[in-house]
Amino acid sequence: MRARDDRGSPRRAKHLAPAPEAPSDQASRLLHAVARGDEAAFAQLYDLVAPRVYGLARRVLRDPAQAEEVAQEVFLEVWRTATRYDPCRSSATTWVFTIAHRRAVDRVRSEQAGADRLRRVATPEPAPHDHVVEQVTARLEQEQVRRCLTELTDLQREAITLAYYAGYTYREAAQLLGVALATIKTRMRDGLARLRDCMNVEVRA
Amino acid sequence: MSDEIHALAGPYVLDALDDIERAAFERHLRECEVCTADIAELRETTARLADGTWSVPPPQMKDTVLAQVSRTRQMSPSLRAPRERPHQATPARPAGRRFTAAAAALLLTVAAGVAGYLAQEQRARNAEVAADLAERRATEIQAVLAAPDAQLSGVPVDGGGRLTAVTSASLDAGVVVLADAVLPDADSAYQLWLIDDGGPVSAGVLPAGAAGDTVLVEEVGDAQMVGLTLEPAGGSTAPTDPVLATVPVT
Repeated sequence: MRARDDRGSPRRAKHLAPAPEAPSDQASRLLHAVARGDEAAFAQLYDLVAPRVYGLARRVLRDPAQAEEVAQEVFLEVWRTATRYDPCRSSATTWVFTIAHRRAVDRVRSEQAGADRLRRVATPEPAPHDHVVEQVTARLEQEQVRRCLTELTDLQREAITLAYYAGYTYREAAQLLGVALATIKTRMRDGLARLRDCMNVEVRA
Repeated sequence: MSDEIHALAGPYVLDALDDIERAAFERHLRECEVCTADIAELRETTARLADGTWSVPPPQMKDTVLAQVSRTRQMSPSLRAPRERPHQATPARPAGRRFTAAAAALLLTVAAGVAGYLAQEQRARNAEVAADLAERRATEIQAVLAAPDAQLSGVPVDGGGRLTAVTSASLDAGVVVLADAVLPDADSAYQLWLIDDGGPVSAGVLPAGAAGDTVLVEEVGDAQMVGLTLEPAGGSTAPTDPVLATVPVT
């Protein structure tokens, strides 16, 4: 595992040198302050991650009202459990987005067990376009994710997309894609490995 | 078994496992240091997928969240990693202990799912009644999963999915989880049956159109099996063939 807990490591500093404070370091610093009950730090952390927490919930749930509810639950959980965040196990933003994804998926599974989930995937929509202005940095990051996704094989990309962005279990994904369970498990795994390589390359460039 | 469980790493970080598999995987994670590091790496990558989802949240959301936060108590850090509950006064019984760990993990996931489901009910019905119900159900599910004599068994369902039962004879209760079954029509519903020498008795009807759920079964009695059938929405008084799965509950 990489030494992600020593945030001042030369490796990181070198790659991200021009930025006054890398967003990931900022998130980590803020989360530690939140763990001590610092509401102002929480407000800053909110600004940093809210578009992705809300965006992720919206991507998985589709419905803006439900996405807002889930995003609020996520932030409340972040506040309540920041005291138990362990920097040795994940970066601060990863911790937040893991909570967010889990909550969104829980909601979709408890609520939309019916046919509409199948319909949503049967007619794949392009990524939802918001009528709001997206921030420039956000767009850059999106492009990196999108570009790295296009470097996957079709099956890797579909498997990961169905699971992460649509909230399907791997069994459902296998059924939808018409492949064996063992295949889908492997494709999710090696697709993620390829994404990791792609994104790391970007950071080093 | 080992390779099989390792193959779940990808689906695990993508939240693409059902409750039972997640519990099994998390139990394994606690004993596998290599996996822990591996999962941490995969998680970092997975979380980057959230970067592809930027969407400006509704402006009022921040005020709402900050207002909630200002009146919400934070959890104490001292309870970090309470999972390895000491299991005192139990003689060496590997199977039983392993199951307790699984049950603890299962409890978290099942309870979370149930809480989510009941949170929905809560809006629809009288809030206080539903809250009591939610608490009672969660407590009973927890008791079954944590029972020292709890037995776990699972079977595949015809057509797809799995039916899993955790039963405790001492509590005379069970928790039955149907996961990833074939999606029924909107006017059909899965129904569970307790089967004993006297024949089948309904043990609960899932919501119409639902392909999975967690059901608390009280008064398991002398039942030997829990059966699963597909019925018209709302359920039937007697099972309609075919029986899609039967899982032992003795």
